[in-house]
Amino acid sequence: MGDKENIKRLLQEAELYQGQGLLSEARLKYDAASDLIKNNPRIKNKEKLLAGLAKKINLLEVDSQKVERGPSSPELSHRAQDLIQKLFSFSKEESEEEAALEGALALAKFGQFERALAEFNQLIANETHRLVAAKNILRCHIALDSEEFAGDKYEEWAKSDMFTHDQLKTLRVFMEQVLESKGVDRKLTVVGVKAEAVVEEKKEEEFIDISSIGIYLDSGPGKGKVVEFDVNFQSGNLLSLIISKKDGTMVEHLAIDNKLEDLQFYSPIAIFNGSGVVAAKSEIKSGPKQGDYCLDIKITST
Amino acid sequence: MAIFNLKKREIECKIVYYGPGRGGKTTNLEYIFKTFRKQITGEMVSINTEGDRTLFFDFLPMGLGKIKGCEIKVQLYTVPGQVQYSSTRKLVLRGVDGIVFVADSLEVRREKNMLSLKDLQSNLKEYGLNIFKVPLVLQYNKRDLGEQGIPMMSIEQMDRDMNRQLKVPSFPGSALKGDGVGVALKECMKLTLKSLQKELKWAQ
Repeated sequence: MGDKENIKRLLQEAELYQGQGLLSEARLKYDAASDLIKNNPRIKNKEKLLAGLAKKINLLEVDSQKVERGPSSPELSHRAQDLIQKLFSFSKEESEEEAALEGALALAKFGQFERALAEFNQLIANETHRLVAAKNILRCHIALDSEEFAGDKYEEWAKSDMFTHDQLKTLRVFMEQVLESKGVDRKLTVVGVKAEAVVEEKKEEEFIDISSIGIYLDSGPGKGKVVEFDVNFQSGNLLSLIISKKDGTMVEHLAIDNKLEDLQFYSPIAIFNGSGVVAAKSEIKSGPKQGDYCLDIKITST
Repeated sequence: MAIFNLKKREIECKIVYYGPGRGGKTTNLEYIFKTFRKQITGEMVSINTEGDRTLFFDFLPMGLGKIKGCEIKVQLYTVPGQVQYSSTRKLVLRGVDGIVFVADSLEVRREKNMLSLKDLQSNLKEYGLNIFKVPLVLQYNKRDLGEQGIPMMSIEQMDRDMNRQLKVPSFPGSALKGDGVGVALKECMKLTLKSLQKELKWAQ
C-alpha cells in the first residue's frame, strides 16, 4: 500500500473512531497520518493538508478535555434521585432503617448532596446510624458549602448532648483530617479528652478515605506521565496498591524510601495534592496476582 | 443478590451490562427498550455526561411473567465504562445476578476489553463472587463496522482473548442494528434464572 492509500486509510479510521467517541484512538490515527504527510516529499499541498489535520486534532483535543473534566456530579431530577435511593437500598427486605441509610449513602456517592443531606438529617435521630449519618452530614456540607461550615456544624454538635464523647472524638478527627488536607488552620473543640492526648490519638485514628492515587513519574519509561492506581487497602496514612505486572515497568524504578513529591489523591469528597514516601515494595510471588507488585505509600503531607 | 418475595411469589433479579467505555452497553439497553415493549415495565433511565458517556448508570425494568409459579422481574443496568468511574461501577455491580459483558470488536480496543474484563473480575471478587461461577455471557459488539474496512478482531481472536478460560456463551453483535442483542440477553436470563433456581429452589 502506498503512502497516499495509507494516509487515506488512517484518516478514514480516525473519523470512524471519532464518531464512536474513541477520541484517543482517533488522535493516534490523525498523528500517524500527519507524520506520513510530513515525511513524504512527493505529496503536494502539504501545508494545507497538515493545517487541516491540525485543526481536526485541535477539535479532538477540546472534546477530550471536555470528557476528561466532565461534570463530576450534575444535580439530578427528584425522580432520578428517588430512583437512586430506591435502587441502591439493598437491605429493604431486612431493615427499613438500614435501607434508608444505604439510599442516602448512594445519593451522596452519586453527588446528590442536598438530597442526601436531607436524608442524613432525618437518620441522625436514629441512634444506631447517628455516627454514620453525622459523618456524612459533614461530608455533604464540605461538598456543598465549605470545610468551615462543616467545622461549625461539628462545634454545634460538640455543645449539644446528642453524641457521646467517643462519637465526638471520631467526628473531630475526621474533620481535622479534612481541614488539614485543605490547608484550613482551625482548632476544633475537644470534648471530654485532655488536649495533650489529641495529637497522639489522631495518629491512630482514620485518615480521609482515598480511593485512588495519581503518581507523577520523574524517571523511568513513563517519565513525565501521571499514572493512576486504585488504592486496594488503606490504613491511616498508609496506602497499599497492587500494580499489575503489565504496569510494572512504570514503577520499576521506585524504591523503598523514595520521596514522591507530586501525588494526587482522589477521595469520594475531594481531590487533593500531597507528597509521600515509598514505604514498601514487593513482587507477589504466588497466587492469582503472581508477578504483580505490591506498593505501599505513606502519605507525608497533603 | 436477587430478592425473593415468598409471600407474593415474586423474584426480582439484576442483570448488569459491563464492558469498556464506548463499547455499546447503553445502545444494547436502548435497543431492548425499543424492541421488547411487551416485557418493559417502566421507562429507561439514563444519566449521561459529555459526549453521551454514561455517568452513573442506565436502568431498565422488565417483567418476564410467571415462570414455574413465580413472577419474574428483571432489572437491567449498565455501568459507566470510563476508567475513572471505578467506584460507581462497583456500586452498580452490587447484588448482581447475571452479567452481559459487551466487548468492542475494534482492534484498537483489544486491550481495553481485557482490562475491563479484569476490572469486572476484581470487582466481583470484592463482593465475594467468582467470575467463573457468576452467570455471564459475552457479546462481541460493533461487528457491523467490519463492512467499513476498519481493522476488526475476528470472533476467534476475541474468544481466545476473553473466553479461553471462561468458556461462557459468546455472541457476535451489532447493538446499533439489534443483532445479537436479544439472544445475548435471553441467554444471560436463562443462565441467571437457572442459577437462582438452584440457589432459591423456588421451582422445586
